[in-house]
Amino acid sequence: MSKLNATDVQGFVLRGYNMPHARFCFLHFQNAAAGRHLVAQLLGSITTGQLWDNGKPQSTLNIAFTFKGLTALELPLATLISFPDEFQQGMKDRASILGDIGKNSPEHWDALWRGADIHAWVAIHALTPETLEAQFAQLNAIISATGNIHLLGSQDAAALVIDGKLSTKEHFGYTDGFGNPDYLGVCRNTQPGQGKLLPDGTWAPLATGELLLGYADEAGELPVAPVPHILAANGTFMVYRKLHENVGTFRAFLDEWGARYGAGDAAAKEKLASKFIGRWQDGTPIELSPDAPDPSIVADPNRNTDFKFGNDLSGSRCPVGAHVRRVHPRDAFGFNGKLVDRRRITRRGMPYGPQVDPTTPQDPATLDSTDRGVVFMALNASLSRQFEFVQQQWISYGNDAHLGNEKDLLLGTHLPGEKFSIQGDTNPANPPLFCANLPNFVELRGGDYFFLPSITALAMIAMELVDPR
Amino acid sequence: MPNQNGRVFGLTFLCPILDDETLQISHDLQIRDYLATLPTDERSPFALAPGTHVARLVVMDDVIYVGMPAHEEHLASKYLVFETNTDADLPGYLRTLFDAIPQHIDAVWSHCTGYPGTADFDKLLAYMKACQIPTTFFFAAVNDKSVTETLLALQTQRAVAEFITTHQGMAPAQLQREFLEFYQALQSLPCPAAGGKLPRRVIKTGGHNE
Repeated sequence: MSKLNATDVQGFVLRGYNMPHARFCFLHFQNAAAGRHLVAQLLGSITTGQLWDNGKPQSTLNIAFTFKGLTALELPLATLISFPDEFQQGMKDRASILGDIGKNSPEHWDALWRGADIHAWVAIHALTPETLEAQFAQLNAIISATGNIHLLGSQDAAALVIDGKLSTKEHFGYTDGFGNPDYLGVCRNTQPGQGKLLPDGTWAPLATGELLLGYADEAGELPVAPVPHILAANGTFMVYRKLHENVGTFRAFLDEWGARYGAGDAAAKEKLASKFIGRWQDGTPIELSPDAPDPSIVADPNRNTDFKFGNDLSGSRCPVGAHVRRVHPRDAFGFNGKLVDRRRITRRGMPYGPQVDPTTPQDPATLDSTDRGVVFMALNASLSRQFEFVQQQWISYGNDAHLGNEKDLLLGTHLPGEKFSIQGDTNPANPPLFCANLPNFVELRGGDYFFLPSITALAMIAMELVDPR
Repeated sequence: MPNQNGRVFGLTFLCPILDDETLQISHDLQIRDYLATLPTDERSPFALAPGTHVARLVVMDDVIYVGMPAHEEHLASKYLVFETNTDADLPGYLRTLFDAIPQHIDAVWSHCTGYPGTADFDKLLAYMKACQIPTTFFFAAVNDKSVTETLLALQTQRAVAEFITTHQGMAPAQLQREFLEFYQALQSLPCPAAGGKLPRRVIKTGGHNE
């Protein structure tokens, strides 16, 4: 079994910090020396995967680099060209593969992502706004003292507050953040439904190499990684996507089709919303509880991700094209779920933008135009095999699920003439529904692929010790 | 029985490519160059040749030595590999190609050893028979349906899905009336054109989902 040196892995990789405030800073290095100096200055402050025996810190700090960033840091050419193609290309050049077309294409992204090259992502997570600002002030001081580092921009994100309590909801109203995979050696209580399905129906952690470079993956191979090995080991690749949410469009669509679903009342609308995602808005998996939300399931980590689709191939409980079923089909494709074990990603998303005020009605156009959504971040050992496959084949296409060209309702980039099928329910009052005239609920506003190195690798970069020989 | 599975035929040919050191651009590169420009949509030569489920043309330069403990071997020449799944056997399908796309056959196979041209069908058939190898296992994309049946089935599927999205929830009597009208209209639709429906995939797409 893989044994991890958690103090060498950036903490962001091994655990969701579950802190309510975050700021993602995007840097440009004027020259390699400045970049290396900055990494050296930050090195002692980078949060590692070491257990928090004394409770959570007030804030955390993590760093990752684009391929252009590693080039700007003047890593050896033999190292640079050993990175996987898709990382070298970056997310903009992968737009056609990712379905980032139309309004989602790079020429429509925020100015930050269309300007000077982004070289590094520095993430601060914090327990309070004050500790966030304090950590940011420290970062700024180091950037200023270093010189020749440009802070191109930053993105704030924060957990939504519902009824005075911090939540894991996003702006459409769904509860997010269930179902990250377990990995061998990663110290976390394993949950049923979180790793890979075994022939006896139980769940086991995925191979470490599905998340971290330098370890065996589910094929028993080392993931494709740059040389030297020590630069790659304990590192991973991160996808960063700023996903704008058109809340007004979503609500209008739900109103329109909810009125045509089942009894057409508020309960039918709520049920339809659950069919889009595969979970009730409180997070209850509809596969387990198709007729009503069940808070006792949501609250129980041994139940809230412990479900399969093998006995629901017709989609009568959870639609075949529902979001959670698309991105983690479990045993839906047969073979005891073996077909999905190499397509899993770890997500670290957070909402951004002002929370929709439920007490003040707003028109759909204003709801849409307000800058709010989800900062989607995903970690995986292979961007092409894991994230890109899920995005291309399961979000933007439906063939594996026998849905032809249908896409994920909320995340797909819809073209005229597309539809979204909801199979007939266990309740005969809910016959099949085919939603048409699909708007685009989510728009990509920027993003890129990043390499999140180990602590050792960061030190080697800072000390100019990366030697591919 | 090789070359046939139900009503669908799988045909495979290995055609040696001419070797001419005096040429500036070798015959195999000329084939590659021609194939790279062929459209993949309804203008594809194989969309114009009725009864083609799939067709693939590959230039095989040599077998690759992968290192020890593999035995190092080489082909006697470069080969054009032609694989196709069709609704007809070799004489029938070749007649289709001969009638529908002779200019493409000439453009590709004129770079191959012993190619007799498209002037005489019997000579062409004898040549292709000589190059054919038995096909015992091939890609089964369809459930023993002809290309025409498959294209019509896909058209029906799309039309029915469209009908459902626009008619769901309608009162039964009206729904039945409109369905009968729809059914009549569907019956009279011509078979859609064959060929790829997706945008052309450029060579430099790069990356892969292994």
